[in-house]
Amino acid sequence: MPEFAVEMRGIVKRFPGVVANDGIDFALQRGEIHGLLGENGAGKTVLMSVLYGLYRPNAGEIFINGTPHKHYSPATAIGLGIGMVHQHFMLVPRLTVAENIMLGQEPTKSGVLLDRDAAVQRIEEFSRQYGLPIDPNARVNQLPVGAQQRVEIIKALYRGADTLILDEPTSVLTEQEVEHLKAALMKLKEEGKSTVLITHKLREAIGMCDRITVLRKGTVVGTVNANETDERELAEMMVGRDVVFTVRRSQATGEPEIALQAKDIEACDDRGLLTLKGVSFDLRKYEILGIAGVQGNGQAELAEVLTGLRPLRSGSISLDGLNLTGKTARDFIAAGISHIPADRQLRGLVMNFSLRENAILGQHRVRPFTLSRFWQSQRAITNHTRRIIEAFGVQAPNTTTLAQNLSGGNQQRLIVGREFSKEPCVIIASQPTRGLDVGGIEYVREQLLKMRDQGAAVLLISMDLDEILMVSDRIAVMYDGQIVAIKDPEETNRRELGELMLSGSPSHAAGYKS
Amino acid sequence: MDVLKDIFTIHLVLSALRLASPIALVALGETFSERVGIINVGVEGTAVLGALISALVAYFTGSPWIALIAAPIAGGLAGGLHALWCIRFRANHVVSGIGINILVAGLALFITSSVWGWRGTSTYSDTINTWYITGAALVIIIVSQIFLFRTKWGLRLRVVGEKPEAADTAGINVHRTRYIYTILNGVLCGLAGAFFFNSVGRFTSGMVGGRGFIGIAAMVIGNYTPVGALGAALLFGFIDALQMRLQSFIPSQFSIMLPYLLTVLVLAFFIRRANVPAALGKHYVKQ
Repeated sequence: MPEFAVEMRGIVKRFPGVVANDGIDFALQRGEIHGLLGENGAGKTVLMSVLYGLYRPNAGEIFINGTPHKHYSPATAIGLGIGMVHQHFMLVPRLTVAENIMLGQEPTKSGVLLDRDAAVQRIEEFSRQYGLPIDPNARVNQLPVGAQQRVEIIKALYRGADTLILDEPTSVLTEQEVEHLKAALMKLKEEGKSTVLITHKLREAIGMCDRITVLRKGTVVGTVNANETDERELAEMMVGRDVVFTVRRSQATGEPEIALQAKDIEACDDRGLLTLKGVSFDLRKYEILGIAGVQGNGQAELAEVLTGLRPLRSGSISLDGLNLTGKTARDFIAAGISHIPADRQLRGLVMNFSLRENAILGQHRVRPFTLSRFWQSQRAITNHTRRIIEAFGVQAPNTTTLAQNLSGGNQQRLIVGREFSKEPCVIIASQPTRGLDVGGIEYVREQLLKMRDQGAAVLLISMDLDEILMVSDRIAVMYDGQIVAIKDPEETNRRELGELMLSGSPSHAAGYKS
Repeated sequence: MDVLKDIFTIHLVLSALRLASPIALVALGETFSERVGIINVGVEGTAVLGALISALVAYFTGSPWIALIAAPIAGGLAGGLHALWCIRFRANHVVSGIGINILVAGLALFITSSVWGWRGTSTYSDTINTWYITGAALVIIIVSQIFLFRTKWGLRLRVVGEKPEAADTAGINVHRTRYIYTILNGVLCGLAGAFFFNSVGRFTSGMVGGRGFIGIAAMVIGNYTPVGALGAALLFGFIDALQMRLQSFIPSQFSIMLPYLLTVLVLAFFIRRANVPAALGKHYVKQ
């Protein structure tokens, strides 16, 4: 038996406009739990999808159990003992657990009829052997996510997986379920299975894995032993120590009156779990308030609450004394709140609408675009679109181009242009530079600073700590649905913020480990 | 009472069963293709094509049995064309289906006028007894019910229509599966077309008369199962048989309307949309 269950050498995978994997070497030892760590978009999932045969790499070699394999499908990968549990489960909700698990390798009676009993029996055996309790006859849509994940793991084992890839397995789990998963992974390890754990959570990587490979922007930063590293080292590897800190721009000079005021706001996420647990802050004119935090600590819900997209459970929001509690997104827009949504293709633009139509979204009802409540002024719309294209440097052939035909950077410029040309008094910017190239990032940051200098109150939500440090006038750290600290960027550093982001308190993270 | 005795006879039941069979075949075919995610509203035209090809082959070969084989093959080709448009070229399913209906309507006029010299009608030919087709339909439906819910191929095709990504990651070829069952849909519709030809002995352009569309309705009412489709088809077959008898008692313009009226009413009031495949009408694009 070769030492490595899987070895990948020089893997390159390009998508239109992006190099997702840029010459990645990755080796999985037999019987280890190997963490694949990196920020969103670092290329972790793409690399594992290549291994599972879902994507065909542009270059590179893959050795499975020491033999080279090229251009194979998931079916071949399954045959080679590789199983993948996707972040979004590949289960058919309406079918039973047994049907989902046996799919593709169904036991039959005399080669024709499905042998459900045999399948159920085998599933129960796996369930016992690996300590993954599951009812084979339950329908998947009746199971909680934790149980669905167990179904996925058993599905992979049922198909004979020796190597298990888990993509962000804990992102959907409760604290307890994470413990169960951890126990199951240890059991799998005892049974000689090798596991790749894709994650962006440092604590879990250290707590669950033997070795950890860190990816950044499609390349390998390094591989470390979990018991010889700590969160700080991993965080630096993930984000990059060679990040150039641009000197902060000058302080703004206007009168910092309070613009937006949030008091004790509470809200639930889509699953109905309380995600914002009493957030209060004042957002002032002539300032950028940065919200730092690890993804999933309530930032997304905060942005939605502050733009009227998500109802409040309790608390209040007011803008310049105007109470916006319980108002709709339309009222928020009318009050002068602009929104740069985190997902530009889902919420920022209508992808198969033209630039003209996208340029007036949110203002489509008002003058000068709509006259007498009915007629749209085509000329005003076109002129407005042209102004945005020119002022914000959107690279587009003409105003009737569809939004989907623009590059990501230009789509973002269009959104920024639309939102900033409303002359808003408050800007809620969610991950405004995500997925942009260096030029685009610089541009959006400059625009944010420019708006601030003109007196806008800017709330910047970003997963990029450097970005927060670079442009914010104050930094609020979110952890577990609360603002745990508000810091002056001149008096804090990455380390302190990182510890706050990870544990909600400055002392805790250093003591973690082990 | 005597009137009712004249209407409700054993003959009514038998003719209900006979008239139900083409509707059931179309409904079964559509069940298969929608279960893999492909909507085909071209079933009407495909049935017309089956009837047309039956007449054409029977006319040239003189053998109604060869015609009976030719019709499903022609139907399968139409199904294959629809599959090609919808899968390979990612066309809108409904548009492609309407295209087939229009294409066949034009083809029927062209072939009838160039072969027999009459626009829209053929000459009479030898036929087979339509009970053969009805009997075959019943057997096919029972077998299909078992196939769909008790075999591994049935499980796989259902997953393809519910969640193609899951099928793909389980090593099932999504596109091939979709081709197979869309073509099978065409084959069954072609067989339904052969029924229409054999029940009259010649082709006339209005002979299918919307029963292909009623087949789609029967599939929906039958909740995407073969036996359910049969049950719904029997309901329509019964109304169809009834209206033929009623024509002696009430104005035929009214009685002919009954099956269509029933379709609208049943669809409006009685459907349980429980089994609509989740990926119905959606293209599956692999990276």
